[in-house]
Amino acid sequence: MTGIHRREFLGSNLGLLGTAALAGLLSPNAHGTNDNPADDFRIAAKAKRAIQITLVGGMSHIDSFDPKPALIKLNGKTLQTDSPPDLFFGQMGLLRQPDWNFKPRGNSGLQISELFPRIASQADKLTVVRSMVADSANHTPALFVENSGFQFNGYPSMGSWLSYGLGSLAEDLPAFVVLPDGRSGPNGAASNWTNGFLPAEHQGVALLTGSQPVRDLNPSVPISREEESASRNLLRLLNQTHLESSGGEASLAARLKSYELAARMQLAVPQVADLSKESEETLKLYGLDNRATIDCGRRCLLARRLLERGVRFVQIYSGGAIAGTPRHSWDAHENVKENHAAESLRIDQPVAGLLEDLARRGMLKDTLVLFTTEFGRTPFTQSAKGTVGPGRDHNKYGFSCWLAGAGLKPGIAHGATDDVGWKSVENPVTWNDFHATVLHLLGIRHDRLTYYHNGIRRRLTNVHGELIDGILA
Amino acid sequence: MLPFALILSNLFALGPQNSQPDFDREIAPILATYCLECHKDGNIKGKLNLTTKAGIEKGGKSGPAVVSGKIGKIETSPLLVRVMANEMPPKTPLPDKDKLLLEKWVLAGAIWGSNPEAPIDPFRFSTSGRAGYDWWSLKALMPTATPMNFNLNPIDVFILEKLKGSGLSQNPQADKRTLLKRLSFDLIGLAPTPDEYANFLADVSSNAYEKQVDRLLASPHYGERWARHWLDVARFGETDGFERNQKRPNAWPYRDWVIRALNEDMPFDHFARLQIAGDVLEPNNPDAVRATGFLVGGVYNTVLGNDQMRSANRQDELEDLVGTVGQAFLGLTVNCARCHDHKFDPISMEDYYRMAATLSGVNHGERSLPLPGLAQKIENAERLTKNLETELEALEAPIRSTLIKERAKTIPVTQHPPKPLISWDLRHGLIDSETGLALQPQGPVQLTPSGARLADNSYLKSEPIGKTLHEKTMETWVQVNPGQQQGGAPVSLFKPIDATFDAIVYAELEKNRWMAGSDFFRRTKSFQSTDTLEPEPNTWVHLAITYHANGNITGYRDGKPYGQTYQSSGLLPFEAGQSRVLVGCRLEPAGGNKMFTGTIAQVRIYDRALTLEEVKSSFQHGDIWPNRREVVEKMPPKDQLRHKALLTQRIELTTELQKARSTQGEKVYSVVAQKPNETRILARGDHTKPGKLAKPGVVKALGELELDANASDAERRVHLARWMTSPENPLFARVAVNRLWLLHFGAGLVDTPSDFGFNGGQPSHPALLDWLATVFIQKKYSLKALHKLLVTCATYKQASTPRADALAKDVDNRLLWRMRKKRLEGEVLRDAMLQASGILNLQVGGPGFSDYKVIDTGNGTTYYEPFDSDAPELQRRSIYRFSPRGGETSMLDLFDCPDCATAAPKRTATTTPLQALNLWNGPIAIRLAGTMAEKTKNETKMNQEQVQQVYQRTLGRNPSEIEAKLAGELASQHGLRAVCRVLLNSNEFLMVE
Repeated sequence: MTGIHRREFLGSNLGLLGTAALAGLLSPNAHGTNDNPADDFRIAAKAKRAIQITLVGGMSHIDSFDPKPALIKLNGKTLQTDSPPDLFFGQMGLLRQPDWNFKPRGNSGLQISELFPRIASQADKLTVVRSMVADSANHTPALFVENSGFQFNGYPSMGSWLSYGLGSLAEDLPAFVVLPDGRSGPNGAASNWTNGFLPAEHQGVALLTGSQPVRDLNPSVPISREEESASRNLLRLLNQTHLESSGGEASLAARLKSYELAARMQLAVPQVADLSKESEETLKLYGLDNRATIDCGRRCLLARRLLERGVRFVQIYSGGAIAGTPRHSWDAHENVKENHAAESLRIDQPVAGLLEDLARRGMLKDTLVLFTTEFGRTPFTQSAKGTVGPGRDHNKYGFSCWLAGAGLKPGIAHGATDDVGWKSVENPVTWNDFHATVLHLLGIRHDRLTYYHNGIRRRLTNVHGELIDGILA
Repeated sequence: MLPFALILSNLFALGPQNSQPDFDREIAPILATYCLECHKDGNIKGKLNLTTKAGIEKGGKSGPAVVSGKIGKIETSPLLVRVMANEMPPKTPLPDKDKLLLEKWVLAGAIWGSNPEAPIDPFRFSTSGRAGYDWWSLKALMPTATPMNFNLNPIDVFILEKLKGSGLSQNPQADKRTLLKRLSFDLIGLAPTPDEYANFLADVSSNAYEKQVDRLLASPHYGERWARHWLDVARFGETDGFERNQKRPNAWPYRDWVIRALNEDMPFDHFARLQIAGDVLEPNNPDAVRATGFLVGGVYNTVLGNDQMRSANRQDELEDLVGTVGQAFLGLTVNCARCHDHKFDPISMEDYYRMAATLSGVNHGERSLPLPGLAQKIENAERLTKNLETELEALEAPIRSTLIKERAKTIPVTQHPPKPLISWDLRHGLIDSETGLALQPQGPVQLTPSGARLADNSYLKSEPIGKTLHEKTMETWVQVNPGQQQGGAPVSLFKPIDATFDAIVYAELEKNRWMAGSDFFRRTKSFQSTDTLEPEPNTWVHLAITYHANGNITGYRDGKPYGQTYQSSGLLPFEAGQSRVLVGCRLEPAGGNKMFTGTIAQVRIYDRALTLEEVKSSFQHGDIWPNRREVVEKMPPKDQLRHKALLTQRIELTTELQKARSTQGEKVYSVVAQKPNETRILARGDHTKPGKLAKPGVVKALGELELDANASDAERRVHLARWMTSPENPLFARVAVNRLWLLHFGAGLVDTPSDFGFNGGQPSHPALLDWLATVFIQKKYSLKALHKLLVTCATYKQASTPRADALAKDVDNRLLWRMRKKRLEGEVLRDAMLQASGILNLQVGGPGFSDYKVIDTGNGTTYYEPFDSDAPELQRRSIYRFSPRGGETSMLDLFDCPDCATAAPKRTATTTPLQALNLWNGPIAIRLAGTMAEKTKNETKMNQEQVQQVYQRTLGRNPSEIEAKLAGELASQHGLRAVCRVLLNSNEFLMVE
């Protein structure tokens, strides 16, 4: 139990338990040594909650958020580079110009390409980081780093750290919710939202489509309302009696409470998942009126509703499994133009709608929106030497992500890649830096939120992480 | 000016009589922590070496760093001046307390340590910030006499003494029912049956409890229970993790071995040795090979695009190995010293890389278990085969060379084509002309005068090759069909055991081009060819790929180099009897883009890498190579007879060999040893920054291994295993007994079971820990003896009731004034539910079951979705349940079963609404409640008796009067299932008290 949850239980159980039980509540049993000793990781928060749109496969920055006029001139030329690139397929063709035109947008004049016309219309809300660097050019390790700061299975994801550090604002909903792409889960599936070695309560809960968005929300067979209620009564009575006879043990009281919370969750989840009360205009804003955008639109709208009701962190995936034909991700080895156009079509309207909706509801003031991808793509094509092909390979040396909302300077671009978008050259930003900054905005010192595991007080940011000062308001 | 508070604290810390700081304990650690990284041999910034007295006095660019021997002033020491001015260390200034210590030291005359000649060893002493060589857990076991009190278990003497010191007493003994439940769950992970309760309650003999202990320790379910704990430590999982996350269908024999070893009470030191080096300690013992599943229990990345990724990944694998071995058996987090010296423990980077070198022969893979005598049989047959072939070759060679000469009058001898190991001329049949190896058609292969025509997923597959191939050449003459194909292979050398292959592959990564295909592209790069694009209609193409010992791979097309030679990640050997040739298919299972369509005239395999000239002459003159039939026809009759006899023998031997090889034992996922690579210390752990060589060894603070730098993998692991388990290694027994203590008492004597270093916990009862470790060694590392010792002490038998007075003094129960209550672990809970509902399948051992739907989309990743089913094989104990990494959430995950991606020496126990939802609504709980109700109703028709019986099944007792009344009402209104559901959710059912 974390310090936070202990306090939570204290607050709610005062009436129920005797003094011995109270002392017991403070008595961590086998799992006690890992409580954060104090709230010394807390700082003033700019944002109360966050939402992350995770593009799986590697979105091409030079075709979206990182304008490279030089690349147009150098189309068909050879890239001059000092070191052999760490490419996945090792094929290095010639430079290729972007497949979409860039334009200055909004009042800020932020340059965004035609790949995302709708998101571009929200340019004045965006804070683009154009100098991201990744640890790996291999999808799954790179995605793991994006999510957890480590290249391996088994490290807690950012959402789990936030749940551990901040808890949920709503008792009847999980703190960390994941909404996977309707086509399939990402590579590594639930490893991407694992609590790792943090206690199980911090694991991401993947909401499913259909009548049971949370597993086991309702009995697996039909059970009458009367039976349900009579059964609950008997259980409560048995447990109360047992609690009293055992001297008021805290862990027993906590189990009693967990059944109350579960009952409330049974009511809260269908309510939040029910989009029928949303206006026509809102549904349209999120693209629910269109086959191409309905999957992402529904999830973006659901995400807003979850955040409104106190969920701390929602992660939306754009893209499922990496390989396969046709690709269901941003992994445009064969043809950037075809692949990115199709993927963008699915999310452009919903993500833009989400930004607009958050802003008009006043939520963007204390909500953080993240738009990320595990790495970018190469300015040269993945084709035989001396040729310009239609596809691009993975690029870990430079790519773009953006943030929007609380505590940020809007309408700016931070950092830069070189002339062709090959490597980050100005203010490079690592995932550790990115995570440190997100935690900072949510009121957490990334170097103080720790959990002891196998010899190390682990952090989301490992032993690194500098705040991206240039983007903070 | 220093802040006042700091001066005060400084005075307080040092005291007047202590004005001269202790160099070894106070100053050396400061220098080591903050300065030496840039001021030591090998890295001397500003020409200043701070590791020795001489160095510090000589100083650097700014003159002597300190003046020692006389009362100094700040200004006389450039070191102090720069530290005080926050110029050094360059990024973060020294903490104020350390600045003050340094100042004191300089002012008092900068006296060097106890040994002025010795360079600073930062690990020499423990400090307030880190552990040194003198850290408690590294010291030899304290000789502790067994406390003499005949009325008490010695454990209680230790415990009571501490309690007395705090003015606390223990709880009275728990009632018999509680005791038996506790004991049964602890030792075998199952609840006592109603009969077992009844027997124990009725047994009034003085050793009634002890009899129960003996009964449970002898149960085959004991091993099942305790294997779970060990598998947590071994981070045992049954999928690879990462992207593909494929199943390891043959990982279970390791689990099974652990269960058996525990049931047999295998001495723990032997248990440990087999897991580190079983395959080399006892190579003919299948169990010893199974045991090495420990080393490869962790994740394994099978998707690696290029050499940099592979090399980085190998370092990660080694970190996993070093980490797991160090933590499991030594309680040391050696893995923390991969990028820098351990921040808290006396473990240097060199120690880490020494240990990595010791384990650098370990690789993931599958192997066949040894069968007694088989290896010898195969070896003999191989030797005979070789002799026969030499004789055959002696008969054939002169005739062959005459034939070649006749046919190649115009060709210079130097350009005669090379002798293949295997040669198929598919225009004339499917038997190899050299060794008689047959190809079997798979699917609708059309054999035509111009060769084998392949389409519609058809291909040819050879018998296993009788010779191990290292260097090799693959060669073929083909005609590519026009039309879409993307990844077919006219020739592939394929090893089914682990689906590895080397193949001539068409158009997989580059349209219309050839490449040297390999499993997951491990040895594949583009040849960067600018040669003609395929297919040229109705044109025969000659292709050859050579694989050199140094990993170089060269492609040839029509006798000319095809693009450029490249350096691959290394040569893959194809072992005799395990490798086959596939013609027209990249790898099995066949289908999809693995299939080649076109016509293949000839295929040849050579057991060496041909030269350009040889490939060229084979391309030009390959057809003049006489096949064996033609050679034999030209022999004198006497030789023909001899030849025939030899060949018959040879064929018989081949059959025998194949049979012997195919009778190799079952497959297990285990260590597949390789020749250890050179291990270098990597700056910041970065594989692109190799430094000094690291000799195989262990952590210096604990000892050395007597090993050469070029010792074999077997020597390395055997030495490690013996050293680690020697009674002189104090950590081995301490760590082991503490694990058992933790699991019985709910908290360890040291509460960080895999970390006995500075960051770990201090022992609550150091004397007890060492006494237990000593007894454990004396009892020949018998775990069962240790269990018995622990569960028969009064401390264990106490009631778990909380007491206000004791809570006030010792809220964590570190002093053990009561027993801790424990919630059933996820697996135990599932087993208990199955048991209560009467359908627990108690089959011990063997392959496991899976209640996961495996969704392999063919898209390079695998998803695991849990489902519920009442199939009897799925009602087995949870230890036998398939454990994937990154599966969708199942009941067990919700109840804190750890992610098997990392070791979990201590589980958390959370209480969450999702658990409540799962247990209240989930398919397993509701199904089992229903099953229990049905079984009960079949046994008795009386409502009250039914309620009584389900109470017995779940809680092992009868309901109280009021409970009987309320439960009876619920049953009569809504059926017995409702009552069962409530009971399965009750705290009393879930808690061991």
